[in-house]
Amino acid sequence: MSAAPRYARGLLLICALALGARADDSAFNAVSTLKNVDGQDIYSRICQGCHMPQGEGAVGAGHYPRLAGDPSLVSWQYAALIVLNGRNDMPAFGAPPDLIWDGPTVHLSDAQVTDVVNYVRSHFGNKYKDPATEAEVAKLPHSGQPLATK
Amino acid sequence: MNHHRSESAALSRRQLLRMIGVSAGSAAMYQAMTALGFAAESPYRGPVDLSGAPRGASVLILGAGMAGMTAAYELRNAGYQVQVLEYNNRAGGRNWSLRGGDTYTELGGFTQHCRFDPELYLNPGPWRLPYHHHGMLHYCKRLGVALEPFVQVNYNAYLHSSHAYGGAPQRYREIKADYQGHVAELLAKATRQNALDDAVSKEDREKLLESLRDWGALDSKFAYVTGDASGDRRGYRKKPGGGLTGRPVYSDPLQLGELLDSGLWAGIFQGDTFDWQSPLFQPVGGMGRVGEAFGRELGTLIRYNAKVTEIHQDDHGVTASYEDTTRPGAAKLTARADWCLCTIPLSILAQIPMNVGAPMAAAIAAVPYGAAVKIGLQFKRRFWEQDESIYGGITYTDLPIANIGYPSTGYFSDGKGVLLGAYIWGVNAMEFTSMTPEERVQRALDYGGQIHPQYHDEFDNGIAVAWHRSPFTMGCYGEWNDQSRARHYDNLCQIDRRILLAGEHASFIGGWQEGAVTSALDAIGRLHQRAVAQGQRT
Repeated sequence: MSAAPRYARGLLLICALALGARADDSAFNAVSTLKNVDGQDIYSRICQGCHMPQGEGAVGAGHYPRLAGDPSLVSWQYAALIVLNGRNDMPAFGAPPDLIWDGPTVHLSDAQVTDVVNYVRSHFGNKYKDPATEAEVAKLPHSGQPLATK
Repeated sequence: MNHHRSESAALSRRQLLRMIGVSAGSAAMYQAMTALGFAAESPYRGPVDLSGAPRGASVLILGAGMAGMTAAYELRNAGYQVQVLEYNNRAGGRNWSLRGGDTYTELGGFTQHCRFDPELYLNPGPWRLPYHHHGMLHYCKRLGVALEPFVQVNYNAYLHSSHAYGGAPQRYREIKADYQGHVAELLAKATRQNALDDAVSKEDREKLLESLRDWGALDSKFAYVTGDASGDRRGYRKKPGGGLTGRPVYSDPLQLGELLDSGLWAGIFQGDTFDWQSPLFQPVGGMGRVGEAFGRELGTLIRYNAKVTEIHQDDHGVTASYEDTTRPGAAKLTARADWCLCTIPLSILAQIPMNVGAPMAAAIAAVPYGAAVKIGLQFKRRFWEQDESIYGGITYTDLPIANIGYPSTGYFSDGKGVLLGAYIWGVNAMEFTSMTPEERVQRALDYGGQIHPQYHDEFDNGIAVAWHRSPFTMGCYGEWNDQSRARHYDNLCQIDRRILLAGEHASFIGGWQEGAVTSALDAIGRLHQRAVAQGQRT
């Protein structure tokens, strides 16, 4: 923000990588251990920061969409595409893990995106019975794999 | 072995710069550095010249943060009719300090009451001003905002890894001295064994060795060992003093292998980063003093509690519709001017209907906002000074709190003190954002207590700001990457008929107030040109 310079953020990232840490506290995740986290955990640790604990969304100068009872969730593809590619303020969680942004990238695997989409579509009063599969989500357009391996 | 220096292409950038500096003086050196990507400092070039403003021309400014108020101040002074709409009930935007008596309600309705003692504060957003952020420094001076030094590098603060040295924090001074000493010793060894002959001429060899001795605090045999030289850098087990008890006892350097394994070397270079090089400054009384001063200066030009709901331009001007947030349900209001400078963060602007062309609209939608969290902790006494001799500066840790910032003001005072107990980015910031404010403070205490055990007895109260829960920004700062910049940045900054944008998101100094100031000056310069070209009010 405001405060942390672009380069500073780079430094923090380097720090985190070099120290390889934040891993063994179950309350928190290193970028490297994020892959071990499931849909419910992803929602309660990442999504709910904006979409709120009961998926109720929020309104200020702008708004965070309400997920509880959101009719657009009828389409798992819609939900998955937004998680993968981001929308406006929301980052693309399906962007390559090594894509360099002005800040640290937070990457979710296709399996995790699938998991969190299924979680949201089956909680907060949403009762959709057609869960997405990882194979289906993997086919949706998103940049996915590390750039280095492309 | 003897082809060194035969190819000019092999010249390093540093060598090239040295030659330019010696032969052509510092101005040429500066130009060359800029061309090579060094010294790319703020483009601020002094007060903006907006002379000859068309009579009666008007500008509507959306947002009373650094960008909006810089623009409002300069445009007003140049004779434009200016009005500013601001969502908050205060000026400053992310330029903000939380002080005792303040109340902050974040999205989700979580309300915190700041209970800090008088004079103490948390800067939830920006907290430091590099010496080369000329625009910010200029406006502080013009607005009468007093500045004091901000300590970035404190050699007595800590570098901490929960995985190294048994989790015991290490003094920055020792890690830096030992890393540098060991590296210098290795390089000296390689040089003396002729391993660097390809790169270093015979005549430079002795100079390199001497410089390594100086740089690394090596002894007469080019070794980094316990003794006078290393003690002078890393400190002593018993410091030199006077009289019969004053004989120093040297301290033992850490072993190289363990030091490399610890990863703590990654924290050494903080103060070498251009934006963090000494000296830095902070406003006396909190960063928010800048926004407050701007707000006083602009007075009634700013309409507070105004939530913009639509921005519409036509051939003659721009109209913003807005709600008075203190009168929910009341009829919408409008403001109109010839031009509109919009500084609303893209996170929010992307949701506001605005009739601009597809390129600008796509750019507005292309910039996600970074997650960041800051937590202020008030303690009953300044134990970091009293017990640990830490005066200002920052401790870096691999714990999720990432940073502990010590106040660069109020040193040696007897009363309470406020630490920056966490300053977090990335996934851990998202996790802290997902908690209630009380949980965030508790977590910051749990983690910080691993570095400062005094936390447990001395804690008084705390406040936590998670930027994605901020109602007025919904995020910390615009995050670009190389692809999005290449595709969208120019489109974001171009004038779209009568609307143009400014803010840190429209700069290459993202996340810094200087980005907001310089983008505002760049924008109003172009707006002025166009207004002059169009002549009188249409």
